[in-house]
Amino acid sequence: MERRIALKNMAVAFGGLLSLPSWAQNWTTESVAAQTASRSYLSAADDALLAEIAETIIPETDIPGAKSLGVHTYIQKIVKDCMDTQAQDALENGLYTVGDISKKSKGKDFVAMNQAERTAFLNELLTQGADEETKTFYNLVKTLTIKGFTTSEYYLTNVAHYQLVPGFYHGCVPISTSK
Amino acid sequence: MYIQETAAGNQFDAIVIGSGISGGWAAKELTKHGLKTLVLERGRDVKHVTDYPTGVMNPWEFEHRNQLPLEVKQANPVVSKCYAFYEGTTHFFVKDAEHPYVQEKPFDWIRGYQVGGKSLLWARQTQRWSDLDFEGPARDGFAVDWPIRYADLAPWYSYVEKFAGISGNKDGLAQLPDGEFQKPHEMNCAETHFQKAIASKYKDRQVIQGRCAHLTEPKDIHFQQGRAQCQHRTICERGCPFGGYFSSNASTIPWAMKTGKMTLRPDSVVHSIIYDEKKGKATGVRVVDANTKKMTEYYARIIFVNAAAMNTNLILLNSTSNRFPTGLGNDSGVLGKYVAFHNYRATISAQYDGDLDSTTAGRRPNSPYIPRFRNLHKQETNFLRGYAAGFNAGRSTYTNNEGIGADLKKSLLNPSWGGWHVGSHMMGETIPKENSTVSLDGTLKDPFGIPQLKINMFYDDNDEKMMKDFYEQFTEMYEAAGFKNIKTRDSKQAPGLDIHEMGGARMGKDPKTSMLNKWNQLHACKNVFVTDGAAMTSTSTQNPSLTYMALTARAVDYAVKEMKKQNL
Repeated sequence: MERRIALKNMAVAFGGLLSLPSWAQNWTTESVAAQTASRSYLSAADDALLAEIAETIIPETDIPGAKSLGVHTYIQKIVKDCMDTQAQDALENGLYTVGDISKKSKGKDFVAMNQAERTAFLNELLTQGADEETKTFYNLVKTLTIKGFTTSEYYLTNVAHYQLVPGFYHGCVPISTSK
Repeated sequence: MYIQETAAGNQFDAIVIGSGISGGWAAKELTKHGLKTLVLERGRDVKHVTDYPTGVMNPWEFEHRNQLPLEVKQANPVVSKCYAFYEGTTHFFVKDAEHPYVQEKPFDWIRGYQVGGKSLLWARQTQRWSDLDFEGPARDGFAVDWPIRYADLAPWYSYVEKFAGISGNKDGLAQLPDGEFQKPHEMNCAETHFQKAIASKYKDRQVIQGRCAHLTEPKDIHFQQGRAQCQHRTICERGCPFGGYFSSNASTIPWAMKTGKMTLRPDSVVHSIIYDEKKGKATGVRVVDANTKKMTEYYARIIFVNAAAMNTNLILLNSTSNRFPTGLGNDSGVLGKYVAFHNYRATISAQYDGDLDSTTAGRRPNSPYIPRFRNLHKQETNFLRGYAAGFNAGRSTYTNNEGIGADLKKSLLNPSWGGWHVGSHMMGETIPKENSTVSLDGTLKDPFGIPQLKINMFYDDNDEKMMKDFYEQFTEMYEAAGFKNIKTRDSKQAPGLDIHEMGGARMGKDPKTSMLNKWNQLHACKNVFVTDGAAMTSTSTQNPSLTYMALTARAVDYAVKEMKKQNL
């Protein structure tokens, strides 16, 4: 509830720029309740935006990036279930800020930018007099993106070479062959 | 063989209260002698393999990648402090609200209520005691003299070690007798370096490989248990489908079940032991069904109390009668007193810059061990007794996490090797004191209508002095090995988090000052035996479980002989 109030206040602060996106025009009591009851707490639009931010931090190359590894789903789950309301607010408000500033200063949605524009945008967001909440948001998302990436099945299997059942322990092996 | 709720179904030759590490042994030994044995477990059933839901899960398969949800942490401030409590293991720990207790002083009571108890969760270190431990109270003038010596227990250590499967080196140390060992785990380069550095500087200090309850060379007796060689997964606390480490679930309980003589009754909270004043002995136990809360009585010729140290005290204290108004067998008045634990507050860490061309491969469910070297043969410091310590070295990788985008990703995909991290934790002997107690609360009850346990344990001046010495000695030892960036730390953790609580129903020679005789038999109620941590007269520095196992097997052997002689 507090988050909603905070968002409303932000909308007021930004001169009432906040208007409901088209997909939200069909909100009903039932659909909102269904969403609240699910494991996610971000709106579909916020979730999509988070996915693109994570993808900007760890982009797809010849190997999978954050988005295809579902890192945004991990972030949302951890923030919702394992962190306090302060972190939850920081994530939600930060996503709003990114959406709002991108439109105001760049004239387009973050999700509509290319990788170079997104990278520049996120770097600017942090360097150009960002407030504490924006810094908190940036660090939270970056830290969790790295964690989500390095604890993913892809990373643990192909990079860290994790084995559930190693079957041995060797105390001293030359470093070149140990990986 | 689950119990039939008939009157005839309530009579047994023996009752064992608890199915953890000592109760499992009591069940195995009693059924081996053909005794019809009822094993009562207050928690749910946990069958080997099938009831290890997270036993073969990969780290990425956990919803929160093994992080605890905030809600779980907030609802469980006590158990959340335990290193082994994480998303993959929460189902094996008692949640704070499930069994309330009163902390007269801060005490983190970590419990596992299920078949197998904490034997599923233990750290599996299995060091024998020596006469330097058993003679401690008499030599240094605290507690009471142990009624047994190493020679009494040595054959029973061997007996349980062969069945459980213990790995280790024969190190030939007076303070840590050798056992029946399977091949030891390897040390890594940094650990071997430390071992050599200590050997060259000190005549009286050794770095050895820990002895632990893992099958490194399984024998026929282990294959007969359905257990296989340890696979070095190091996720033991989730339950091991290979039976690679010893637990009641993998070993003693199914072994006892195979005899056809055991009835296992989970969800059975023991309220008290029934004492018959005319017969002058215990006749059975009162059990509250954990689900229906209905009370039932079960009867037997002998009773083994293996509820784990604190709950064994609780049961004895709650077993009152005209003959024993303050608790079963409590003529001495020492029941619930002289409880103690191990001091695990002090740790030390450092970096090692050598052997940078080497690392480790695979994983090891064990680590090196530094046996006690303080006050070993005579008093030489300003504190009583001493400490053992763990030692562990490892290398990890790091990445440069600057920036975002392709460069960051490249860095994450190409981690660099860091140097060696080394660390030790102190395992200090604490002195059992009369004012270190557990008792029953006069008004508060648990969900089964049983008085709540009040726990009053604390660190004393001796513990503080010992920690200071540990910091000094280990700093000197780490410097001797050339370690850098040495840091000492006091976790200030409350007693309990060591999960080595002991005493309250101590063994002793004199019925006026102890609860149990040299056979772990209540002095004043001969057909009741206590062979878990509650029996401990002093705490030593060694992890206690192996000693509970040996005491249990020895006590059952004695009990069965006494039954045959019609003395019980």
